[in-house]
Parts: sequence; C-alpha cells; structure tokens
Amino acid sequence: MWEGMVSGMLTGISTTLIPINIFMVLFGCFMGSLIGMLPGLGPITAVALMIPITYNLDPSTGMVLLSGVYYGAIFGGSTSSILINAPGEAATVATALDGYPLARQGYPGKALAIAAYSSFSGGTIGVIFLMIFAPMLAGVATSFQSVDYFALMILGLTAVSAFAGRGSVLKALLMAVLGLMLATVGTDQISGTQRFTFGSLELLDGIEFLLLAMATFALTEALSIILNRDESSDSLKPKMIGFKSLKVTKKEFKLIGPTIGRSAILGFLIGVLPGAGATLGSFMAYGMERNLASPDEQKKFGKGSLIGLAAPETGNNAASTGSFVPLLCLGIPGSGTTAVMLGALIAYGIEPGPRMFVDTPEVFWAVIMSMYLGNVFLLILNLPLIPYFARLLAIPRNFMVPMILFFSLMGVYLVTFNDFDLLMMVGFCIAAMALRMMNFPMAPLLLGFILGGLMEDNLRRGLLIYDESISFMWERPLTLGINLTTIFILSFPSLRRVMSRSKGKDNLEPEVVTIHGETDD
Amino acid sequence: MLLFSVAYGILATRIPLIFLSQGEAFTSRTMPSALAVLGIILSLLIILTPTVDPEGKPTIKETVRGLEWKRAIWLVIAMIFYGLVLKWLGFVLASILFLMFGFYILDERGVVKMLLVAVPLVLVLWFLMSKLLGVYIAPGEIFYLLGIL
Repeated sequence: MWEGMVSGMLTGISTTLIPINIFMVLFGCFMGSLIGMLPGLGPITAVALMIPITYNLDPSTGMVLLSGVYYGAIFGGSTSSILINAPGEAATVATALDGYPLARQGYPGKALAIAAYSSFSGGTIGVIFLMIFAPMLAGVATSFQSVDYFALMILGLTAVSAFAGRGSVLKALLMAVLGLMLATVGTDQISGTQRFTFGSLELLDGIEFLLLAMATFALTEALSIILNRDESSDSLKPKMIGFKSLKVTKKEFKLIGPTIGRSAILGFLIGVLPGAGATLGSFMAYGMERNLASPDEQKKFGKGSLIGLAAPETGNNAASTGSFVPLLCLGIPGSGTTAVMLGALIAYGIEPGPRMFVDTPEVFWAVIMSMYLGNVFLLILNLPLIPYFARLLAIPRNFMVPMILFFSLMGVYLVTFNDFDLLMMVGFCIAAMALRMMNFPMAPLLLGFILGGLMEDNLRRGLLIYDESISFMWERPLTLGINLTTIFILSFPSLRRVMSRSKGKDNLEPEVVTIHGETDD
Repeated sequence: MLLFSVAYGILATRIPLIFLSQGEAFTSRTMPSALAVLGIILSLLIILTPTVDPEGKPTIKETVRGLEWKRAIWLVIAMIFYGLVLKWLGFVLASILFLMFGFYILDERGVVKMLLVAVPLVLVLWFLMSKLLGVYIAPGEIFYLLGIL
C-alpha cells in the first residue's frame, strides 16, 4: 500500500511541479480567493466561472486549476465573513459567528491570520488523509459493477438531499429528480432517440452542464444581491480595511492547536460522506468545540472566541478536502462544487470513478498534490496579501453585479458559441430564482443533472446483466449494503428530529437553505 | 413542480421508440416515466405534509415582499438583449453595451467611469481569449453587412 502511495505521490509531484501547473495552482488560489471573497459568491460559482478557461488546457492542468479555485474560494469566503459579517456561502457562516466580533474588537488582522492558519492546517491534514484513504477506496472500488454504481449514485443523491437542512429534505429530493429530468433532454446515447428536444437542433446534444451551473448559481446569486438589498453586502469603505497586526502569539497557538487537530479529523470524516460537505463540517466542528470547551471559554463563544473561529475554519477546509474522496474514487461527487468538477472531468473525456486511479493516475495524483501546494501558497502568499485582497470588497455593487453577470454569460458563450444557449441560460436563471425563493436548494439539482446520464447507463447495463430483473438491488450483498445505507440516510432527518427532541435543545446544524444562503459547498 | 412533473410525464409517453426496443424492459421512456412518477409523488408530499417552520408555509406574497424587483427585471432584460444582439454586434461591442447598460440600471451615471471600466475589461478579455488562448471569437454580422469585413 505504502509503495503505491509513494509512487503515486511521485507521479503527482512530477505532474504538479511543472511551471504551468505551479502557475495554475497559484492562479487558481488567487482567483478563488478573489471570487470567494465577494459576498454572495461561493465555491460553486467560482469553479463554474473558471471552467471555460480550463477547456483549452491539459486535463491535469485543468483539474489543478479548479482545485486551486475551490480551496481559494473557501478561504476567500472567510474574509468577507470576518470583515463585514457577510458570508459568501453557507460554509463560512460559522466563521462569522466569532470572526466578525473579533474583527469588531479591533483585531481583524489576528482574526484573518487565525482563519488562514486554521484553513492551512485543516487542508493539510485533510490532504494527508486523502493520500492514505483515496487509493485504498479506489482499489476496493475497482471490483464495483454497474449495479453498485447505480446504487451508489442513488446514495449520493439521497445524501445530498438528507443533509440539505431542516424542512428542506423533500424539496432537495425533488430538486435532485428535476436535475435527473433535465439530464434526459437530448439524444438517448443507446437508442439514438430524441427526448424532450421539441424539434430543436440546439437541444439535440442536451443541456450544457456549465450553462446550468452558471444559471443556477452565478446568475441567480448575482441577481439575489440586487433583489435582497442587504446592506451588509454593500461595498466596504476602503478606510475600514486596516490591520494592526497579523501576528498570533505562542499562547494563542497553544490554545487553538488541539482544536485544529480535532476539527480537521471531524471535518475530513464529514466531508467524505456524500452530500455532507463543508457547511456541515464547519458547524459540527464549531458545535463540538463549544461542547468541549471549559465553562469560561464557552462564555466567549459568539463574542470573538479564538477557538470558535479556528474550529469552523479547520472543519470546512478539511471537509472540502474530504469531499474529493468520493469524487476521485467513486466518480460520485460529495458536494455541489465537486459535482461541477465532475462535469469538468467528463468534459475533458475522463471517465470518473475507480478506473481513473488506474487509467489516468497523473490526473488523480496531480489533484491531490496540487492541494498540498495550494495550501502552502494560500498561507505564504495570500496571508500577506489579505489587506490588499480585501480592498476588492470596496468595489461598488453597481459595478460588481453587472460584471458577474457578464463573466457568467461570457463563460458559457465562449464554450458553446451559441446565442440560443444564452437565452436558455436566462430562462433557467428565472426558474432557479423562483425556486430558490421558495427555499428549493440548487446543489441537488446540479448533482442530479450530472449523475443523470451515468445513472441511466448503469441501470440499463445492470438490467441487461441481470436478465431485466431488479433483484440485484437486494441479491448482491454489496448493492444491498449500499441500499441499506441509503435507507438509513433517508431516515436520518427523522432520527435527528427524535434525537434533538430527546435532548430538548436545538442542534447547531444549518437550518433552512434559503435564497440568502444556499448550501454552496 | 407538480405541473412540471405531470407535463414531463405526458411528454415521456410520447418519446418515439425504435422497433427493436419495443419489447425491451428498459427503453428510452423508462427513466423519464419513473422520474415523472417520482416528481409527482414528491411534489404532492411537499404540498400535503405540514411544514416544520413554526411560522407556517409562507405565501407567495410574503416571499416576494420587500424585494427590489424593478432592477432585477431590467437586468434580466439586459441579459436577454445581450443574447439576442451578440451574434449581430459581435462579442466586443455587445459586451461593452451590456456592461454599460448594467451599470446604468444599478444607478451609475458617470459615462466616463462606465466606459473606463467596460471597455478595458472587454478588450483585455477578448485579447486573452482570442490572442493568447487561441479561442476563435467570430466578429458581428453587422461588420459583414456594412462591408467593413
């Protein structure tokens, strides 16, 4: 096992440490931090906005860039949470709970530095776990059959929906079904039959995933900034951005050290679960640390506690890394952002799943090694640049919003060169806005859309192998195990309700996924 | 969503089947039909089950109250307009117009400021894409009609 890991690491190092890839990690972290910092824009939007650039690149380089954007965006989201109490996305909401009060007390530099050190530690510990567990899981997964994949995809969709938040499970499931429905538009790959094309030539190839990602996230988030005149997301006055010191004392490091260790392990484990993602990772780490803290320290939570800031920052970064495990090993995205990355992999012509580990190890290991490099870059380059990055928050909204809309539209046009796609994108944007207003989450829709074609293929193949009987769902032990896990996850919201009732207090997980804070891992 | 699922289900029954696949258990209609049924069941469950929100299910009126519709609608119109004129005006011209219109909708009135943001941004992106990354961006039809190209 260790030999395989070392040779894989060497493959990853040799692929990553070439000038173009080093530049892409750097560029990705930089762009991710910039986009993630903008209120309302999270990692999904950041990754989706960068995809058009990657289409002209080698798959390894493209994935390295997107990975850099992903953790850069998570890191960037913390900055707007801490400085102006405007979390760019749900995963950094917990960061604002203690980060913003700390900044208000006159320590914005310290708060950002702790966030940076915690993100680095969470990400680095996560990458080490990823290096150990991903090849192991990929090795096991090579024995998976079509029917297992079908069951796994149902598990992935169910998990994303089950973790959607209180009161949103049915809505999330419906969104996953809607995504699957949209995936059926176009020509059926097996029979060649046209489905739901209404005689339109533009729909023969189906709907472009980038179009749907941009319409449901980038466009709707930009329009939401206008629709909800939230003063906290207004531009920041440049004079507000001043940092006395980014220094963290030895005593403070000693205080947050154990928190970082615990939160990284918890975050990674949560990230591995399909659908849980960075949001749950950050809130669970915050909740765990609050429960473990001394009564004196507990009183500081919500008022600028260093532990309360370090825990969610470590948790969300470790969970983001963990969410790469199901993506790289099973071809099943664990979160909305990794769903977009899965779409990019398919667009590069790479078959996601355990075969990727065997067929294209350079991509597999390049992604893992680029994460480590990205964490280092984020710390040594972004930390001193934070005061300058934060000036981006001073861009007035009346310039920022049209630019986001333009980048989204341009991103799709430069991939498809079809003006019909732009009109379809606006149509999807309007529908997505309406759905988000009614608290329908968008991440399950995207996940359903990306998995739709693969799911249908695997089910069709499975039925052919098993003489058109669905008995494989319970006869094959592995498939049965996956299905039982799906049932457990599906009943998880009810179990949670019973547990929280018996505890007699509200749990700390994110409540309802709303237009103001789409779960955007 | 209920209506959408019903309409999707009806259309699913109209998907043409090739002769050879008519006797098969899994055809092009199978997945869409199953999804339509699932969509209908889930939509009905959402409508019929009580909400966990103590304030009850919000009405449409409550949901849309206090939102800045006017500007959002104008921005949507600007995007549609961009999609319609892009082919005719070309990427550079249409993009500059879109950005300036967007800034104007959001209360920016300084024309020079708008031009200073929109023109360099679009030109830099055009240069990056077409010259550095080698992406071919077709010029607008209008340039052919006017005989410029």
